[in-house]
Amino acid sequence: MNAWLQQHRYALGVTVRRLIAQPFSSLANIMVMALALALPLLGGAVLVSVQPVTKQLSVTPELTVYLAVDAPPGAAAQVAQRIRADFPTGVQDVEVMARDEALAELKNNPAWSEALAVLPGNPLPDAVVARLAEGDDLAGRANTLAQALQGWNFVDRVQLDSAWVQRLEALLRFARIGLFFLAACVAVVVLATVFNTVRMQALFQREEIGVARLVGATESFVRRPFLYLGALTGGASALLAIGVAALLLSPLNEALLGLASSYGAEFALRLPAGGWLITAIVATAALGALSARWSVTRNTRF
Amino acid sequence: MIQFQHVFKSYGRARNILADINFDIQAGEFVFVSGPSGAGKSTLLKLIGGLELPSRGSVQVNGQNLEKMTARARPYLRRAVGVILQDTHLLYDRSAIANVTLPLTVTGHSHTQAMARARAALDKVGLAGKEDMKPIELSGGEQQRLAMARAIVNRPAILIADEPTANLDHETATRIMNVFRDFNRVGVTTLIASHDQGLMARYATRTLRIDAGRFSDVAGVPA
Repeated sequence: MNAWLQQHRYALGVTVRRLIAQPFSSLANIMVMALALALPLLGGAVLVSVQPVTKQLSVTPELTVYLAVDAPPGAAAQVAQRIRADFPTGVQDVEVMARDEALAELKNNPAWSEALAVLPGNPLPDAVVARLAEGDDLAGRANTLAQALQGWNFVDRVQLDSAWVQRLEALLRFARIGLFFLAACVAVVVLATVFNTVRMQALFQREEIGVARLVGATESFVRRPFLYLGALTGGASALLAIGVAALLLSPLNEALLGLASSYGAEFALRLPAGGWLITAIVATAALGALSARWSVTRNTRF
Repeated sequence: MIQFQHVFKSYGRARNILADINFDIQAGEFVFVSGPSGAGKSTLLKLIGGLELPSRGSVQVNGQNLEKMTARARPYLRRAVGVILQDTHLLYDRSAIANVTLPLTVTGHSHTQAMARARAALDKVGLAGKEDMKPIELSGGEQQRLAMARAIVNRPAILIADEPTANLDHETATRIMNVFRDFNRVGVTTLIASHDQGLMARYATRTLRIDAGRFSDVAGVPA
């Protein structure tokens, strides 16, 4: 155990010495990897910040059924009753919005009152609002219901009011998949950078590796400093990437705060939780070590 | 201690460097390997050190059959064999003592232990007081002795050296040979490749002569 610790301490010492011996090259590698890693980190920050906002919004689809303007009085109530009867489990509740009520509501809005005053009559139709019951495939069920209602008597148009929330959810799903692919690409960048760094180091340390083998070093002993090099480079890059992302988020949030406050809202981008960040650092270090092992095994066959 | 049975060694399709070599060296022997340049002396020593594998035949070192050993096990054999090659293979960016502690680090000795043993090894080869000097600051003979200190620091059972006194003046060569003889006197099996007849006349008790891959085994110095 003691010998094992001694050898690890030695390997770590050798690694740090090699990193310090070529400060600019080491720093350049770490910077390149950090900038690449900062991209999915910023993407992750956008996702984790937007996700709670979408959860606050109602994603239950609401159907508004607009009747024809010349529909007879009471047609809206009939449509509402038929919806309740035909879709007892699919619909949570149904509400009739009479055209006179809608006009009165609009007239209360100063932006509309003047425009409505010049109109000879009420241009608004009666409407029925149907909220769907919770369950699976809300979007699919809403579409089926909308198609069915479209064919009913006196129905002029059916509008799916919550479609934009569904679209936003789909957009976020797309962004999550995109972010996954971006992270995979960055992982390849980390792999390639560490692979090449270790390849150069192995060629540079050719004499030392030869001497170590001559005096009885095992391949694990030869490989160990390179594994540390990969892990340290990866870990340091991830740490720096978090710092870069945090720095970039600061001016972005200032601009965003101005925009959000003009809508009377508060919204800020924030980095993923600490646990996620620690996982990212450990994963990048492990990826670096893995790449280093692959590289050193391939490039020290002399 | 060392046994060669019908050993052949060639590289690719080239002719055999060694052809049908047979010999047996007992523990504690002091043996010279002689022959002209390119005769295969270095190859023979590299086979004993486990740095090369035979193309055919059997090489047994310290009770272990080289060609049957796994690649993982071979480094452990190398720890039992102190090797001094013609090119000293020193690490020029490290101090003398760091060069000597390397075999001890490889075997997992503590820093304190390694430093103490390395100092003793440097003292043994006459390099006490030059621990912090870089190899480039040492003379050719001192570099050769530094390589020797590195080879002996792990207290190997076998010591092999390829032309350890080449290009050295008589006095330095004698000093180095005396260190080899001292080690041999405490039981370390020693093999030295050399074509220096004068040296062999003074130290050899047994000589293995190789010429163009052919081999002869004589007591003392070959005629």
